[in-house]
Amino acid sequence: MRGQSQTQAGTGRKKRWGAAVSGLLLASLLGGCVGMGGNQQATGASGGSEAAAEGPVKLTMWGGVPPENGPQQVVDDWNAKNPDIQVEYVRYVNDDDGNLKLDTALSTGQNVDLFVNYAKSNLDKRIKSGVALDLAEFKDYDIDKMIGPEAASWKIDDKYYGLPTTRNSTFVALNADALEKAGLPIPQEWTWDEAREYARKLKESGFRYGLVQHTASYSDPLDSAMVADGYTKEDGTSNMDDPLVGKWLETLNAMMKEDGSTPPLGEQLTSKMPVENLFLGGDAAMLNIGGWLLRSSNNQKDFPRDFKIAFAPVPRLMENAADYTTSGGVGDIISVNAKTPNKEAAWKFLKWYADGGMMPMAPGGRIPASSAADRDEALKQMLGGQEATYDQPSLEYVMFGSGIPTFNRDLSQEMVDMRAQEYEKYFLGAQTAEEAMANMVKQHNAFLEKNK
Amino acid sequence: MGKSWLKRQSLLGYAFIGPNMLGVLVFFILPAIYSFYLMFTDYRFMNPELHFVGFDNIKRMLGDELFYVSLRNTVVFLLSVPVSILLAFLVAAALNKAVYWKKTLRALYFMPYITSGVAVAFVWMLLFQPSDGPINGLLRAIGVSHPPGWLSTTDTSMLAIDIIWVWFMLGYNMIIYLAALQEIPEELLEAAKIDGAKPWQIMGRIVWPLVSPTTFLLLVTGLIMSIKTFGIIQAITQGGPGNSTTVLSLFIYQNAFRYYEMGYASAISWSLFAIILIFTALQWIGQKRWVHY
Repeated sequence: MRGQSQTQAGTGRKKRWGAAVSGLLLASLLGGCVGMGGNQQATGASGGSEAAAEGPVKLTMWGGVPPENGPQQVVDDWNAKNPDIQVEYVRYVNDDDGNLKLDTALSTGQNVDLFVNYAKSNLDKRIKSGVALDLAEFKDYDIDKMIGPEAASWKIDDKYYGLPTTRNSTFVALNADALEKAGLPIPQEWTWDEAREYARKLKESGFRYGLVQHTASYSDPLDSAMVADGYTKEDGTSNMDDPLVGKWLETLNAMMKEDGSTPPLGEQLTSKMPVENLFLGGDAAMLNIGGWLLRSSNNQKDFPRDFKIAFAPVPRLMENAADYTTSGGVGDIISVNAKTPNKEAAWKFLKWYADGGMMPMAPGGRIPASSAADRDEALKQMLGGQEATYDQPSLEYVMFGSGIPTFNRDLSQEMVDMRAQEYEKYFLGAQTAEEAMANMVKQHNAFLEKNK
Repeated sequence: MGKSWLKRQSLLGYAFIGPNMLGVLVFFILPAIYSFYLMFTDYRFMNPELHFVGFDNIKRMLGDELFYVSLRNTVVFLLSVPVSILLAFLVAAALNKAVYWKKTLRALYFMPYITSGVAVAFVWMLLFQPSDGPINGLLRAIGVSHPPGWLSTTDTSMLAIDIIWVWFMLGYNMIIYLAALQEIPEELLEAAKIDGAKPWQIMGRIVWPLVSPTTFLLLVTGLIMSIKTFGIIQAITQGGPGNSTTVLSLFIYQNAFRYYEMGYASAISWSLFAIILIFTALQWIGQKRWVHY
C-alpha cells in the first residue's frame, strides 16, 4: 500500500491510473473475501433462535426429481398451509456430478436441511461424514410399522439415517396387444429362458427387438443371483463366478447374437439408445424398466401409442422361484442434515411428506410407501387418466401383489462399474464368458483384500 | 533517485500481476500442494478419517491393471495429435493459395473448435452409429460388407475417438499454420521457383522447415492439451465400452469424483504430471534436430 501511495504522489497520470486500477482490483478481491466471511456469519446466526422469533423458519430440501414433476407442487402445498415453516426445493441431478454437488454443499455447511438419497452407497458416505441424522431421536414415528418390513434394508448399523418414502417397482413392461396376437400369456413369474423365448417369438411377429432393457435395470438379475447365493463364498472370496452369472451372460449373449432379439450392448450404450421410445413407439415388444416408465407412457402427446401396456415381474435366473428376489422395495430415502439448526421443523415436514404430502409426485411414478398415505388415490394419480391404456390387474400384481421379496443393492460403485466393464467386454466379443467371470473374481478379490 | 525509480517500477509491476498471481496462488498452487500431500494419505471425500499411508497409493497404482489400460489408451489417444498437425499443415497450405471460397472454407474448418463439446459428441455418436448411422451407410454403399463398429466395439472405439479429436483440433492447428505461412517471405518461394524447384520440393524443403517452430509449438501444446482432455470422452463413451476408452485423465476423474478416492486420484495426477514433464523435456531436447529458428 505504501508503494502505491508513493507512486500516486510521484509519477505521471498513466501510472497513477494503473496503480489505482490494480489497487482497486486487489481491494475488491480482498473485499470479496471479507464480504463472504461476513455473510456466512450472518446466515449462521439467522439460522438459530433469532430467526424463529423474527419470521418463518426456512428449510431447503435437495432432491433429484425435476421440480415440475411434483416436488414444486409438494412444497407449494406445504408452504400454503404452514406459514411458519417455508420450504424451498433445490434440484440436483442424480448422477456423479450432481451427487458431488450435494456432497460438497453438505460438507461445506451450505444450507441443506433435508436431502434425498437414491443409493445405499451414497447414503453410506453421507453417514460417515456425519451429515445424516440418526432418526432414532424422534420418537413419534415408527418407521418399521409405517413403511413396512422393506424399510429395514436401508438400515445401516441397525439405525435409520433416512426415511424411505416411495414404493419402488421394477418390472418388464409388455406390449399387451402383441402378446395377445402371438398367443403369449402375461407371465406372473418366469425365468430368463422363458423370457428369451418370448423375445424370440415377438421379434418373429415383426418387432425390431423382442426385449430392450433400461441401463438402470440392466444388471439387476446379477444382483438378484448374488443375493440368493452370496456376493462372497464361505471362505470370504468373491462369488462372482457363480453359475447364475454365467447363465445370465450366456442367455443375453445368445439373445444379442443368435436371436437378434435384444440390441447388442455396445451399440445400445454408445448410441445412448432411447429404450423408452423404442418400446412406446412400437419398435420393441418388451422393456425391462421400473416405475419411472409411467412418466413417459402417460405422456401420450410426446409418446403416442395405440397399444395397452401390461406388466410382468423381472425374469429370474434360478430355477426355484422361492429363491428369487427382485430389485425394488422402498426408496427415495430422505435424510435430515445433522447440522441443521431446524431439526424439528425439518422432521415435521418430512413426516407430512411421507404420509401423503408427496402425492403430487405420484404421476411421475412415485407411490408413497407409508401406510398412512392413500394408495388407491396414488395409483389413480400415477395413471393420470390413462387407465384404459394399461392392463391394471397386472400392474397391481407387479406393484403390490407378487409377494416377491426385494433386495437393495449393497455393492460399492467401484465393483458395479468393474462388473459392467467385464460383461461389456464379453458381450462385445473381446473375451469369453469364462474370462469375464475370472476377471470379475480377480478384481473383486483385490477389492475385498484392500477394504478388509 | 534512479534506484528508487526502479524500485517503484518493479512495485508497480507486482501490483499489476498481483490480482492474477493471487488467483493462481489460491486456485492452482495451493490446491496442487495440497494434492501432493493427499497423495500420501488415504483421504476419501466425505470421510473425515485420514491416515498417512506413505507410498501405498503409488504401489496400488503400479499394481492396478486399469492404470496400465488407461496409460495405453492415452498413448493411442495422443497419436491423434501429430496426425491432426500434419493434416492441418496440408489444409493450411492449400487454403493459403488461391482457392475458391477461401474465406468460407477457413471459417468452416475452424467451426469445430468453437462448437460446444457436448453438441459435437452427440453429432458424432449419431454419425458413428453402427447399424444405421451415415458413416457405415456410406461404407456399405461403396461395397464394405462389414463396416467397423466404431464406438460400439472395444477394438475400434479409441480409433473413433481419435478421428473425432483430429477433426476437433484441425481448425485451431490450421489457423496457427495459416499465420505462419503468411510470414514466409514471397522472395524465397519465387527464387526457388526460378531455380526450377517443383511444388512438392518447395513444400518439403522450404515451407515445412520454415514453419517448424510452429509445428513444434503445436506439438507441445497439443500433446499437453490432449493428455489433459477427458470431457469429450466422458460425454461420448464414459470410458467404455468395457474400459477401451478410459484415458488417464478420465481415470483420475472417476477415482476422484465418482469413487471419492482423493488420495489415490492425487497419486495418479502427480504421475500424469511427471509423464507430461518428461514428455515435454524429451521434445525440448529433440527439437534441436528438426526445428529451425
